[in-house]
Amino acid sequence: MSSSPLRRTDRTHAVRLLVAWAVLTVIGIFIAMQVHLPPGDQSHQAGDETWLLQFMTILSVPVFVGVVLFIVYSVIAFRQKGPVLEDGPPSRGNFRIQVAWVAVTAVVVLILAIIGIDELSTTSSGTNFASSSQPALAAVGSSAGHPLRVQVIGQQWWFTYRYPDFGGVETTHLMLPVDANVEFHITSTDVLHSFWAYQLGIKADANPGADNITYVTTLHTGSFTVRCAELCGLWHGHMADTNGAVLTQDAFAAWIAQVQKDGADFNLPPYAPIYFPSPAVKGS
Amino acid sequence: MATADIVDGGPPIIQASERRLGLPTNILTGIVLAAVGYWAGVQVGNGFALNDALNTGVLLGYTFASIMFLVGIGFANYPLARLFGWRVTSQPSGDDHAGPWRYLNLSLDHKVIGVQYLVAMLIAMLFGGIGAMLIRTSLLVPDPPIVAPDKYLTLVSMHSVMMVFVASAAIVGPFGNFFVPYMIGTNRMAFPRLEALSFWLVPPAIVILLAAPIFGGFQTGWTGYTPLAEQADQGFDSYIVGFTLIGLALIVSGVNMLTTIITLRAPGMTWTRLPIFVWGVFSASILGTFAAPILAAALAMQAMDRTIDTTFFISSAGGSPYLWENLFWFFGHPEVYIFILPAFGIVLELLPHFARKPLWGYRTAVVGLLGVTLLSWFVWQHHLFLSGIAPALRPFFMFSTEMISIPTGIVFLVAFGTLWQARISMTVPMLFCLGFLFNFLVGGLSGVFLSDVPSDVTLHGSYFSMAHFHYTIVGGEIFAIVAATYYWFPKMTGRMLNQTLGKIHFWWMMIAFNLAFMPLFAAGLLDMPRRVSTYAVNLQTLNVWVSIWAFILFASMLFFAFNIIWSWFFTFKVAPANPWQARSIEWLMPTPLPRRNFEKIPVFTSGPYDYGNPSAKPVADLGGPPDSGRMGGLGVEPAPS
Amino acid sequence: MTQRNPRVAGRLAVVVLAVAALLALLTAFSVTFVFHFPPQLTAQPTSVGNGVSIHLETVAAISDAIAFPRPEDPHPDWVSYLPTTIFKVPANSVVTISIDQEDGASGLRNPYWGTAQGIIGGKFHMSYFDDAGAPQVGDFSTIDGSTLGHSFAIPDLGVFVPLQGISDAAPAGSHNEITFSFKTGAAGIFRWQCFVPCGAGSIYGNGNAMSTFGYMHGLLIVQ
Repeated sequence: MSSSPLRRTDRTHAVRLLVAWAVLTVIGIFIAMQVHLPPGDQSHQAGDETWLLQFMTILSVPVFVGVVLFIVYSVIAFRQKGPVLEDGPPSRGNFRIQVAWVAVTAVVVLILAIIGIDELSTTSSGTNFASSSQPALAAVGSSAGHPLRVQVIGQQWWFTYRYPDFGGVETTHLMLPVDANVEFHITSTDVLHSFWAYQLGIKADANPGADNITYVTTLHTGSFTVRCAELCGLWHGHMADTNGAVLTQDAFAAWIAQVQKDGADFNLPPYAPIYFPSPAVKGS
Repeated sequence: MATADIVDGGPPIIQASERRLGLPTNILTGIVLAAVGYWAGVQVGNGFALNDALNTGVLLGYTFASIMFLVGIGFANYPLARLFGWRVTSQPSGDDHAGPWRYLNLSLDHKVIGVQYLVAMLIAMLFGGIGAMLIRTSLLVPDPPIVAPDKYLTLVSMHSVMMVFVASAAIVGPFGNFFVPYMIGTNRMAFPRLEALSFWLVPPAIVILLAAPIFGGFQTGWTGYTPLAEQADQGFDSYIVGFTLIGLALIVSGVNMLTTIITLRAPGMTWTRLPIFVWGVFSASILGTFAAPILAAALAMQAMDRTIDTTFFISSAGGSPYLWENLFWFFGHPEVYIFILPAFGIVLELLPHFARKPLWGYRTAVVGLLGVTLLSWFVWQHHLFLSGIAPALRPFFMFSTEMISIPTGIVFLVAFGTLWQARISMTVPMLFCLGFLFNFLVGGLSGVFLSDVPSDVTLHGSYFSMAHFHYTIVGGEIFAIVAATYYWFPKMTGRMLNQTLGKIHFWWMMIAFNLAFMPLFAAGLLDMPRRVSTYAVNLQTLNVWVSIWAFILFASMLFFAFNIIWSWFFTFKVAPANPWQARSIEWLMPTPLPRRNFEKIPVFTSGPYDYGNPSAKPVADLGGPPDSGRMGGLGVEPAPS
Repeated sequence: MTQRNPRVAGRLAVVVLAVAALLALLTAFSVTFVFHFPPQLTAQPTSVGNGVSIHLETVAAISDAIAFPRPEDPHPDWVSYLPTTIFKVPANSVVTISIDQEDGASGLRNPYWGTAQGIIGGKFHMSYFDDAGAPQVGDFSTIDGSTLGHSFAIPDLGVFVPLQGISDAAPAGSHNEITFSFKTGAAGIFRWQCFVPCGAGSIYGNGNAMSTFGYMHGLLIVQ
């Protein structure tokens, strides 16, 4: 059945496709490299995520180009010619092609997984875990001494921040010093929220009764946006603060001193990893 | 079933003796009894309510209403007749089930149920689409709100839950119920009453969901995370009962499909001749059968938390919101493959007929579908990468999620192999299949971005993930549903859909869909979270663009509805029996279809995709084997004569 | 063809009726639910420069309202700000809000909101009743979180004001009166809300009135 003329046209089509694919892939990768991807380089973690997004964008170019090219080429080259419906060759599969395809996709998947796991373990990007008992697993992910601890409290509908290293003061905006390892403890007093500091490249859910820990290493000063990324009810979309900032060490020291001074006014409960205000249970 | 029915072999018919309850059982009785049930449920529930939120009344009201609706429409007749020993005859019940009235009432004919499902799903899709249009209207401006934020979130939630109802049932329901019996050569499903039940659970679910705004709506999205769900008013009870009904429909239809496909295949219908669409339905039914019970259980716990003050999901009283997240996604991730597996089935089923080539790598395709079925149980925590649980398991879930691209890649390979050197007819169903391949490619690639934990940190919960799943569900599944509608409509209704309008519809929908949803990837990368009623001012141009193309996309679906109504009811020309000149068995049937599928049980003699082989026999011998007076068969080759 | 016309007419009638029913349903849904908003209240100019003032009432149940009764409200037993929750104020002006606080204490989930922020002078003026039911007057910046009845907060302007719940010993029909002022900046639309979980009947108190726009939530339109 698979006579030699068919084999010959097979080869012609395959060569054309391969050449077009190679050319378009190169062009596509060039274009993909011009795309500016978030979240930027304000923190070590953000830089890693930017790199990974860039890498995956480039990796997806040959796949995208290949599939689209194949569809378009088939539609043009493999059409019904005449008014009478004609059947194609009765090929039912090719074992070697199938094995090769599965092998190639498996290798790509393996590469992606290895890169992802490597990112996870070496940079602790997005390394967050909940603990309902320990206040802090200090020194995890920090090489330069004790990290700055910041507690993020999600509540309907605003994030507030407590600094246990500075007497547990609470603020409505998040300020961080530059060149610092920061250890976030994220919790909630009511429903689920998700703390998303976009330019810092961190996002972690705020759960009532859980202390979700994540790390960030700030690299550059500048402002950042905090948003809620988990549906939390009425004002979910408005739970956004564009006034977060990474400050110089001096500016941060001055700011936190002022907050501590003003903090005398506030009637705050002692710092704790989680808060269960009353009423704890509905109806009680 | 009475033995006489099985010997008769036709689709089961409601028996006259089953209708002896003293009241006529039809849809009107169903509606009246549902109203009575609702009233009774509210009285009972409010009488026993433990807290002042009065959820018990609404929950019991919906539950009683659903049960009484099913009783009124006639589901209790047969069990009661058997219970009390009333005579069940095999005499047909008469002509009162002929004509359009038949489609509004309980019928055990899988062809009627398929059409009922098709219409119900199209109507539900219209409701969901109207929700989407209201959402996009509201997002035309960041502020001041066109829709108040609580109403906006209710619209988002109702749109999502309605569309999940549609996506769960809109392939297996209409096309699975209608064509699986033909494709495997049987006159009926294994459990015709369960088949009817799987349909009649859907209309109450839709009505109950639409009732949510009467009680203030609910603002939880389709995920229903606690404690937000605990806070929600009685509107959320619609979510609980509606979703439970859909879950029951999935279980019932899954069990029925699995049993039918395993036990009722005609002689010669071996596992390797099974049309790939049946494999798609089969794998989705496995997931429906085993995943939906988890949903039903979790929803029952949610209902108890709301009514009798249990605290399964309340951390301040010893429960945990993580429990709901895990139960929900342990159901939820297989659920999204319940959406897409039958869509794979449709696309791979249609490609060979329009490429006029055998399905390339049939066995590999089956392995791909079953591979997705298996892997889909091991990926649910990728929805919870950032929730703070089980960091040590994240590499595993990252890897298992990425592994799904291997069986999915197989589906693309099989499609490519089938297209290679083919003789493609660019019919309307084929256009939608090719559109599916493009859209699902974009959906799949963006899924890889979300599967890696570090990149997920930026993309999770943003418009990027929203665009991703709309590409897979709308661009993927809905395109497959539309392809299947154009393809099978002439056999289901006896009318061709207008093909010129169909081609306009394709280009209209394809362009509008991509122009509406592609920019949403950018919105996600530019830090726009999902489900927000407002957004940063600098994203307004992008959002207006998206809204306008979303309106155009919706208009394309109205155009589709116009084509359906026009072709079905206002052209009076019977469609040719085999307009596509396809090989598979449903096209060997006459149009319009006789009430009984097969006078004699067919014997399958070759595969459905045997194109390009001049010596191939027709797919089945409709004369049947010498002793074909029985239902179904063992699925074995007939002995050589 | 002879059969055709009557069938077309009948089917057309069904289609037209179905479309009309759908449109009617959609209109009803849009008017009563989707696009339903509370009315707007324009702040009254005061004698002082560019200043405006707003007078509000907070009630434990709308049916108990004194200053601003709203008998037609569908939820007479909900807590609420009255008369409405959408306020129009001029840009770059001093807004003075005085609130008749008639509801008792509910308490905060986060006591941090018990301190006033972002208001002129850092203190609000309050006439209230002490535990013995005697009337008192004073200027405060912080009150105990457990005594709050409600709060008035505009997070994007940094304005957070606690409203002390009325004492159980106060005479029937009386109210605490809280007055404060803040400055508006450039034009814009800002949401305001109550941070006290005062919506009874659901866990953490943020159900019904706290999860529905127009009761404990609103907008400040700065023009």
